[in-house]
Amino acid sequence: MEPITGRALILAASAIGAGLAMIAGIGPGIGQGYAAGKGAEGVGRQPEAQGDIVRTMLLGAAVAETTGIYGLIIALILLFANPLVGLL
Amino acid sequence: MESTNFIMRFLNWLMTFDRKALILAASAIGAGLAMIAGIGPGVGQGYAAGKGAEAVGVNPKSSKQTTMVMLLGAAVAETSGILALVVALILLFGNPLVNLEGAAIVIAASAIGAGFSMIAGIGPGIGQGYAAGKGTEAVGRRPKYQPGIVRAMFLGQAVAQTTGIYALIISLVLMFANPLLRLL
Repeated sequence: MEPITGRALILAASAIGAGLAMIAGIGPGIGQGYAAGKGAEGVGRQPEAQGDIVRTMLLGAAVAETTGIYGLIIALILLFANPLVGLL
Repeated sequence: MESTNFIMRFLNWLMTFDRKALILAASAIGAGLAMIAGIGPGVGQGYAAGKGAEAVGVNPKSSKQTTMVMLLGAAVAETSGILALVVALILLFGNPLVNLEGAAIVIAASAIGAGFSMIAGIGPGIGQGYAAGKGTEAVGRRPKYQPGIVRAMFLGQAVAQTTGIYALIISLVLMFANPLLRLL
Protein backbone atom coordinates (compact mmCIF):
# COMPACT_ATOMS: atom_id res chain seq x y z
CA MET A 1 0.00 0.00 0.00
CA GLU A 2 1.43 3.37 -1.02
CA PRO A 3 1.96 6.00 1.73
CA ILE A 4 -0.45 8.95 1.72
CA THR A 5 1.00 12.11 0.27
CA GLY A 6 -0.18 15.51 1.50
CA ARG A 7 -1.68 16.14 -1.92
CA ALA A 8 -3.70 12.92 -1.82
CA LEU A 9 -4.96 13.79 1.68
CA ILE A 10 -6.19 17.20 0.49
CA LEU A 11 -7.89 15.69 -2.55
CA ALA A 12 -9.53 13.00 -0.41
CA ALA A 13 -10.84 15.61 1.99
CA SER A 14 -12.06 17.65 -1.01
CA ALA A 15 -14.13 14.70 -2.23
CA ILE A 16 -15.82 14.36 1.18
CA GLY A 17 -16.22 18.13 1.41
CA ALA A 18 -17.94 18.30 -1.99
CA GLY A 19 -20.43 15.71 -0.80
CA LEU A 20 -21.02 17.53 2.49
CA ALA A 21 -21.60 20.82 0.66
CA MET A 22 -24.46 19.30 -1.30
CA ILE A 23 -26.36 18.48 1.92
CA ALA A 24 -27.38 22.14 1.75
CA GLY A 25 -29.86 20.99 -0.90
CA ILE A 26 -32.16 19.90 1.94
CA GLY A 27 -33.20 23.48 2.64
CA PRO A 28 -34.37 24.70 -0.77
CA GLY A 29 -36.08 21.35 -1.30
CA ILE A 30 -38.22 21.75 1.83
CA GLY A 31 -38.80 25.46 1.34
CA GLN A 32 -39.80 25.27 -2.31
CA GLY A 33 -42.04 22.34 -1.59
CA TYR A 34 -43.78 24.42 1.08
CA ALA A 35 -44.23 27.21 -1.48
CA ALA A 36 -45.60 24.73 -4.02
CA GLY A 37 -48.04 23.45 -1.42
CA LYS A 38 -49.29 26.90 -0.54
CA GLY A 39 -49.48 27.70 -4.28
CA ALA A 40 -51.71 24.69 -4.88
CA GLU A 41 -53.81 25.72 -1.87
CA GLY A 42 -54.12 29.26 -3.23
CA VAL A 43 -55.17 28.11 -6.70
CA GLY A 44 -57.78 25.89 -5.10
CA ARG A 45 -59.20 28.81 -3.14
CA GLN A 46 -58.98 31.47 -5.87
CA PRO A 47 -58.74 29.69 -9.25
CA GLU A 48 -59.17 32.86 -11.31
CA ALA A 49 -55.92 34.25 -9.83
CA GLN A 50 -53.89 31.23 -10.92
CA GLY A 51 -51.47 33.27 -13.05
CA ASP A 52 -50.59 35.68 -10.24
CA ILE A 53 -50.35 32.93 -7.64
CA VAL A 54 -47.98 30.84 -9.76
CA ARG A 55 -45.84 33.89 -10.59
CA THR A 56 -45.37 34.79 -6.92
CA MET A 57 -44.71 31.16 -6.09
CA LEU A 58 -41.98 30.85 -8.73
CA LEU A 59 -40.39 34.17 -7.66
CA GLY A 60 -40.21 33.01 -4.05
CA ALA A 61 -38.93 29.60 -5.09
CA ALA A 62 -36.15 31.26 -7.12
CA VAL A 63 -35.00 33.13 -4.00
CA ALA A 64 -35.17 29.91 -1.96
CA GLU A 65 -33.00 28.21 -4.56
CA THR A 66 -29.98 30.49 -3.97
CA THR A 67 -28.42 28.58 -1.05
CA GLY A 68 -28.68 25.36 -3.02
CA ILE A 69 -26.79 27.00 -5.88
CA TYR A 70 -24.12 28.23 -3.41
CA GLY A 71 -23.62 24.67 -2.21
CA LEU A 72 -23.39 23.44 -5.79
CA ILE A 73 -20.80 26.11 -6.66
CA ILE A 74 -18.59 25.18 -3.70
CA ALA A 75 -18.84 21.48 -4.63
CA LEU A 76 -17.95 22.21 -8.26
CA ILE A 77 -15.00 24.42 -7.18
CA LEU A 78 -13.72 21.65 -4.90
CA LEU A 79 -13.96 19.16 -7.75
CA PHE A 80 -12.92 21.10 -10.84
CA ALA A 81 -10.97 24.17 -9.72
CA ASN A 82 -9.59 23.09 -6.36
CA PRO A 83 -7.75 26.09 -4.90
CA LEU A 84 -6.35 24.11 -1.97
CA VAL A 85 -3.87 21.88 -3.78
CA GLY A 86 -2.23 24.98 -5.23
CA LEU A 87 -1.56 26.34 -1.73
CA LEU A 88 0.51 23.32 -0.75
CA MET B 1 6.16 6.34 10.79
CA GLU B 2 5.29 6.72 14.46
CA SER B 3 3.09 9.73 14.99
CA THR B 4 1.12 11.13 17.89
CA ASN B 5 -1.17 12.94 15.48
CA PHE B 6 -4.49 11.11 15.71
CA ILE B 7 -5.49 11.76 12.09
CA MET B 8 -2.13 10.60 10.76
CA ARG B 9 -2.32 7.47 12.89
CA PHE B 10 -5.83 6.80 11.62
CA LEU B 11 -4.77 7.28 7.99
CA ASN B 12 -1.69 5.12 8.47
CA TRP B 13 -3.92 2.45 9.97
CA LEU B 14 -6.20 2.73 6.92
CA MET B 15 -3.20 2.29 4.66
CA THR B 16 -2.36 -1.06 6.28
CA PHE B 17 -5.37 -2.49 4.43
CA ASP B 18 -5.45 -3.74 0.90
CA ARG B 19 -6.18 -0.98 -1.62
CA LYS B 20 -9.32 -2.67 -2.93
CA ALA B 21 -10.60 -3.40 0.57
CA LEU B 22 -10.26 0.26 1.51
CA ILE B 23 -12.25 1.43 -1.54
CA LEU B 24 -14.94 -1.21 -1.07
CA ALA B 25 -15.30 -0.37 2.63
CA ALA B 26 -15.72 3.29 1.75
CA SER B 27 -18.29 2.33 -0.91
CA ALA B 28 -20.28 0.48 1.74
CA ILE B 29 -20.30 3.59 3.95
CA GLY B 30 -21.20 5.73 0.93
CA ALA B 31 -24.15 3.48 0.04
CA GLY B 32 -25.42 3.78 3.60
CA LEU B 33 -25.01 7.55 3.64
CA ALA B 34 -26.89 7.89 0.35
CA MET B 35 -29.90 6.08 1.75
CA ILE B 36 -30.27 8.63 4.58
CA ALA B 37 -32.11 10.59 1.88
CA GLY B 38 -35.01 8.20 2.47
CA ILE B 39 -35.99 10.37 5.46
CA GLY B 40 -37.34 13.01 3.08
CA PRO B 41 -39.87 11.02 1.02
CA GLY B 42 -40.94 9.24 4.21
CA VAL B 43 -41.84 12.45 6.01
CA GLY B 44 -43.30 14.12 2.91
CA GLN B 45 -45.48 11.23 1.78
CA GLY B 46 -46.66 10.76 5.34
CA TYR B 47 -47.81 14.36 5.36
CA ALA B 48 -49.58 13.85 2.00
CA ALA B 49 -51.26 10.73 3.35
CA GLY B 50 -52.44 12.63 6.41
CA LYS B 51 -53.86 15.43 4.31
CA GLY B 52 -55.51 12.85 2.05
CA ALA B 53 -57.24 11.25 5.03
CA GLU B 54 -58.29 14.68 6.25
CA ALA B 55 -59.68 15.67 2.84
CA VAL B 56 -61.67 12.45 2.49
CA GLY B 57 -63.06 13.02 5.97
CA VAL B 58 -64.17 16.53 5.04
CA ASN B 59 -65.59 15.62 1.64
CA PRO B 60 -66.21 11.84 1.33
CA LYS B 61 -67.96 12.24 -2.03
CA SER B 62 -64.76 13.10 -3.91
CA SER B 63 -62.68 10.45 -2.17
CA LYS B 64 -61.50 8.80 -5.42
CA GLN B 65 -60.34 12.09 -6.92
CA THR B 66 -58.58 13.12 -3.69
CA THR B 67 -56.81 9.78 -3.42
CA MET B 68 -55.62 10.04 -7.03
CA VAL B 69 -54.08 13.49 -6.46
CA MET B 70 -52.48 12.24 -3.25
CA LEU B 71 -50.88 9.29 -5.05
CA LEU B 72 -49.70 11.50 -7.94
CA GLY B 73 -48.04 13.96 -5.54
CA ALA B 74 -46.56 11.18 -3.41
CA ALA B 75 -45.10 9.55 -6.53
CA VAL B 76 -43.21 12.77 -7.31
CA ALA B 77 -42.06 12.98 -3.67
CA GLU B 78 -40.60 9.48 -4.07
CA THR B 79 -38.08 10.63 -6.75
CA SER B 80 -35.26 11.59 -4.35
CA GLY B 81 -35.54 8.28 -2.55
CA ILE B 82 -35.25 6.43 -5.86
CA LEU B 83 -32.25 8.54 -6.95
CA ALA B 84 -30.49 7.75 -3.65
CA LEU B 85 -31.34 4.08 -4.10
CA VAL B 86 -29.82 4.14 -7.59
CA VAL B 87 -26.57 5.68 -6.30
CA ALA B 88 -26.41 3.11 -3.49
CA LEU B 89 -27.04 0.25 -5.92
CA ILE B 90 -24.35 1.58 -8.27
CA LEU B 91 -21.88 1.68 -5.36
CA LEU B 92 -22.82 -1.87 -4.37
CA PHE B 93 -23.30 -3.69 -7.68
CA GLY B 94 -21.68 -1.61 -10.41
CA ASN B 95 -18.91 0.03 -8.44
CA PRO B 96 -16.96 2.20 -10.89
CA LEU B 97 -14.30 3.08 -8.32
CA VAL B 98 -12.61 -0.25 -7.45
CA ASN B 99 -10.70 -0.53 -10.70
CA LEU B 100 -9.61 3.11 -10.92
CA GLU B 101 -5.92 4.01 -10.96
CA GLY B 102 -4.68 6.59 -8.46
CA ALA B 103 -4.36 7.16 -4.74
CA ALA B 104 -6.68 4.78 -2.89
CA ILE B 105 -7.48 7.37 -0.22
CA VAL B 106 -8.89 9.81 -2.82
CA ILE B 107 -11.01 7.11 -4.45
CA ALA B 108 -12.30 5.90 -1.07
CA ALA B 109 -13.14 9.46 -0.02
CA SER B 110 -14.96 9.96 -3.34
CA ALA B 111 -17.20 6.98 -2.53
CA ILE B 112 -18.04 8.52 0.87
CA GLY B 113 -18.55 11.95 -0.73
CA ALA B 114 -20.91 10.50 -3.34
CA GLY B 115 -23.02 9.11 -0.51
CA PHE B 116 -22.95 12.35 1.51
CA SER B 117 -24.08 14.29 -1.52
CA MET B 118 -27.27 12.26 -1.89
CA ILE B 119 -28.39 13.17 1.67
CA ALA B 120 -29.68 16.39 0.06
CA GLY B 121 -32.59 14.27 -1.18
CA ILE B 122 -34.22 14.79 2.25
CA GLY B 123 -35.23 18.29 1.19
CA PRO B 124 -37.07 17.61 -2.07
CA GLY B 125 -38.71 14.60 -0.43
CA ILE B 126 -40.20 16.61 2.44
CA GLY B 127 -41.03 19.64 0.28
CA GLN B 128 -42.72 17.73 -2.52
CA GLY B 129 -44.64 15.73 0.03
CA TYR B 130 -45.88 18.96 1.60
CA ALA B 131 -46.99 20.19 -1.84
CA ALA B 132 -48.74 16.86 -2.46
CA GLY B 133 -50.56 17.22 0.86
CA LYS B 134 -51.70 20.76 0.17
CA GLY B 135 -52.74 19.82 -3.38
CA THR B 136 -54.78 16.94 -1.99
CA GLU B 137 -56.38 19.23 0.56
CA ALA B 138 -57.34 21.79 -2.08
CA VAL B 139 -58.79 19.18 -4.46
CA GLY B 140 -60.75 17.68 -1.59
CA ARG B 141 -62.24 21.08 -0.86
CA ARG B 142 -62.95 22.11 -4.48
CA PRO B 143 -62.75 19.07 -6.79
CA LYS B 144 -63.95 21.19 -9.74
CA TYR B 145 -60.61 22.99 -9.96
CA GLN B 146 -58.45 19.88 -9.93
CA PRO B 147 -56.54 20.64 -13.19
CA GLY B 148 -55.32 24.07 -12.05
CA ILE B 149 -54.43 22.84 -8.57
CA VAL B 150 -52.52 19.83 -9.87
CA ARG B 151 -50.70 22.02 -12.42
CA ALA B 152 -49.51 24.43 -9.70
CA MET B 153 -48.52 21.47 -7.51
CA PHE B 154 -46.47 19.78 -10.24
CA LEU B 155 -44.78 23.04 -11.25
CA GLY B 156 -43.70 23.73 -7.68
CA GLN B 157 -42.57 20.15 -7.16
CA ALA B 158 -40.41 20.35 -10.28
CA VAL B 159 -38.65 23.43 -8.87
CA ALA B 160 -38.23 21.72 -5.49
CA GLN B 161 -36.51 18.80 -7.22
CA THR B 162 -33.64 20.93 -8.58
CA THR B 163 -31.32 20.68 -5.56
CA GLY B 164 -31.80 16.92 -5.52
CA ILE B 165 -30.68 16.83 -9.16
CA TYR B 166 -27.61 18.95 -8.31
CA ALA B 167 -26.68 16.46 -5.59
CA LEU B 168 -27.13 13.58 -8.03
CA ILE B 169 -24.83 15.31 -10.55
CA ILE B 170 -22.08 15.80 -7.92
CA SER B 171 -22.48 12.20 -6.83
CA LEU B 172 -22.23 10.89 -10.41
CA VAL B 173 -19.22 13.13 -11.13
CA LEU B 174 -17.44 11.76 -8.04
CA MET B 175 -18.13 8.21 -9.19
CA PHE B 176 -17.77 8.30 -12.96
CA ALA B 177 -15.79 11.39 -13.98
CA ASN B 178 -13.70 12.11 -10.91
CA PRO B 179 -11.69 15.27 -11.57
CA LEU B 180 -9.67 14.92 -8.36
CA LEU B 181 -7.67 11.93 -9.57
CA ARG B 182 -6.27 14.01 -12.42
CA LEU B 183 -4.93 16.50 -9.85
CA LEU B 184 -2.80 13.89 -8.08
